[in-house]
Amino acid sequence: MHVEPGTELPPLRIESVPAEAMKTVAALLHDPTPIHWDVESVRALGMGDRPVNQGPNNMAYVVNMLTTWAGSPGRIRRLRVRFLGNVFAGDSVTARGVVTGVREEDGERLADLDVWLERSAEDRVLDGTATVAIDA
Amino acid sequence: MPIPLEELEQVVGRPFPGGSYTIEPYRHWLMTDAVGGPATSTGEASAMEVYYGALAGMGMTVDGLFALVGASAADGPMFGEAEIEQRRPLQIGATYRVSGAITSVQRKHGRRAGVFDIVEFRLELTDERGEHVATSTNSFIFPRRD
Repeated sequence: MHVEPGTELPPLRIESVPAEAMKTVAALLHDPTPIHWDVESVRALGMGDRPVNQGPNNMAYVVNMLTTWAGSPGRIRRLRVRFLGNVFAGDSVTARGVVTGVREEDGERLADLDVWLERSAEDRVLDGTATVAIDA
Repeated sequence: MPIPLEELEQVVGRPFPGGSYTIEPYRHWLMTDAVGGPATSTGEASAMEVYYGALAGMGMTVDGLFALVGASAADGPMFGEAEIEQRRPLQIGATYRVSGAITSVQRKHGRRAGVFDIVEFRLELTDERGEHVATSTNSFIFPRRD
């Protein structure tokens, strides 16, 4: 795989963030925050009328993009993200990444990346950096 | 009134009870399916398991963590930042020990947001041989409404 600064990762698009998946994740994570399944609680907080996606779900979309590109989950050495905004049920979002550098460390070839999740080019809901092991 | 800052700062460095976390194959399948990834139940686990395992194995619930800093889920806590580091790939079916603590608290005053606290905590996962294999560092933002 030819990787150099500026290499763009294949984007990962979620056409419509599913509300049902938020319920599954809330149950599996024992997450008591009601904004992920109870529209009334979302309204009470003045956040609209659609369930709010769990922040880790937004992070997971980026992880899925990196895993597909790198070839296996264990190649992701580090991922740091900032949560910039909420994603709501029904939103379309796209995970993207671009290589910022390539280096060797302990005999391993690593790519450093900028990564983000966006509703549109002007509306990022998450951004961060990652380090991924790549083929020599 | 929000929890006094002096009281909040006393939780920094206090270890979580800790515990263990097993990446159950069925659970891994359901979670990866829910976030649109390849749903798998064998082999290397999703890197997100570093995050999931850290929170599940820290020895208290998310509600308990919120209570520790004088907040509750009804306050609308938000994620600030999250970082996962993998020294070794996690394996589906394996069990990991989890340990960690709150590492910092900051009180901020936003013009629009009002008073809010940023609480950061760090958790380490070790495998059955005692080797440190992964770290999860996270921060929550707690609005402090009067």
